[in-house]
Amino acid sequence: MALGDLEREVMTQLWNAGEPLTVRQVHERLSRDRELAYTTVMTVLDRLAKKGVVTQQRADRAYRYAPAQSREEMTAALMLDALSAAPDGVRDAALAHFVGRIDPSALTAAIEAARKDPGVKP
Amino acid sequence: MTALLLGALGLTLSLVVPGILAGARWPDRAPAAAVALWQSITLTGVLCALGVVLAGPQELVSELGSDRPVGAVALIFALVIAAVIIVRLLVSLVRVSIRSRARRSRHRLLVDLLDTAERHGELPAEVPAGLRVLDGPLPFAYCLPGRSPRVVLSGGALRVLDAGQVAAVIAHEQTHLRHRHDVVMESFTAFYRAVPRPLRSRAPLDAVHLLLEMVADDAARRRCGAEPLRTALTLLSDAVSPDAPVELGSAAAERRRRLDRLNLSDPRQVSLGLTMVAATGAVGLLVLPTVILVLPWLDRALSAWPL
Repeated sequence: MALGDLEREVMTQLWNAGEPLTVRQVHERLSRDRELAYTTVMTVLDRLAKKGVVTQQRADRAYRYAPAQSREEMTAALMLDALSAAPDGVRDAALAHFVGRIDPSALTAAIEAARKDPGVKP
Repeated sequence: MTALLLGALGLTLSLVVPGILAGARWPDRAPAAAVALWQSITLTGVLCALGVVLAGPQELVSELGSDRPVGAVALIFALVIAAVIIVRLLVSLVRVSIRSRARRSRHRLLVDLLDTAERHGELPAEVPAGLRVLDGPLPFAYCLPGRSPRVVLSGGALRVLDAGQVAAVIAHEQTHLRHRHDVVMESFTAFYRAVPRPLRSRAPLDAVHLLLEMVADDAARRRCGAEPLRTALTLLSDAVSPDAPVELGSAAAERRRRLDRLNLSDPRQVSLGLTMVAATGAVGLLVLPTVILVLPWLDRALSAWPL
C-alpha cells in the first residue's frame, strides 16, 4: 500500500475519532482489516506531525495525535487556496483552472453556505 | 546604427506589438503557434535590450572620437547593465518557480489527505492515476502540475456533470499537465515580475493564459468531442460565477471566446495556414536581432570583398 494512501487512512481515523488518539489506538483501528506494523503507523503519524497537519500532545507518558484542523476546515482552506488569486492579482502559475477564479468573498460565502447545509454533503 | 536599430525593434516589441497581438482574434485559430509567437516576442525584446546595452556605449564613444579611458568606462558600464538585466530575469524565474513549487507541494499533500475518489461511483471507468476528488458542493476543477501531477474535481462538479463531460474536463486538465503549460506560464510570470513596475504589462500574461486554455480545449475536443466540453464549460462557470463582479468581467469574456471556438460547425477550427505563419514569424523574430548585429559586419566584409 502506498504511503500516501496510508497517510490518508490515518487522517480519516483521526478525524472520525473526535478525540486525540495514541499510536496504539490508531494502529488498532487500522489493523482491523489488514496486517500493519505498529512502527509504520508511528512513522506515518510522525511525518504528518512534521508536516503540520497533525498535532502531537504528550499525556500519560504517551503521545496523542489529533488533526490540526477538522476535515471541513481543511477542505475550505484548500478550496480557498485553489480558487483565490495571488495577492497582486497576477495569475499564479502554481495551479491551472478549468474556468476562471472565483471572487474570494463569493467563495467564502459558498463555503459557509455549504457548511450550514449538511444535507448537501455526500 | 546597430544600437539604434535594436532599440527601435526592442521598443516596438515591448510597447506596440503586445497591444496589437492581445487585441487580435486570429490567435484563437492557431493558439499553440500564437503562444510560440508571444514567447518569441518577449525573448527578442530581452535580446534587443541586451544588444542596445552592449553595442550602444561603444558606438557612442567611437562616434564622439574619445580616447581610451572613456571607452573602457563605457564598456564596463554597459556590461554591468547587461548583467543586471540578466540577473534580474534569472532571480525572478527562480523566485517564481520556488514559490509555486512550495505552494503545489503543500496543496498536493492536503489534496491527497482529503481525497474521496474511491467513494465516487460516478467517475469514468478508467480513472487517471492522479485524479482526486474534494468533498464540497461548489463545482470546480483544476490541475496541480509538477513531477507528480494531480487533477482535482470537486464533489459538486461530479454532481453537475455527466460522465462524458467529466471525461472532457479531465482530458482538458491532462493536456495542461502533459504539455507542461505551467512552465510556459511560469516563464511569463517571471518576466512580468522582473520588469520594473511602471513598464510592466499584463497583456502577454493574460493572452498566453487564454491561449493555453484553448490549446487544452482543442486536445479535449479531439478526444471527447466538442459538445461535452462546451456543456462542462458552461455548467462549471455558471456555478462558479453566477453574478460575476467587475474584476471577473474579463473572465466572462474569456469564457465567451472559448465557447465561441467550440461552437463553430467547422471541424477544423485550428487553421494550418495561420499556424504556419505564426510559427514562421516566431522563428524569424528570434533571428532578427542577430541579423541586425551581423549586418554592419557583413556590409564591411562585402565592400572589402574583391580585396
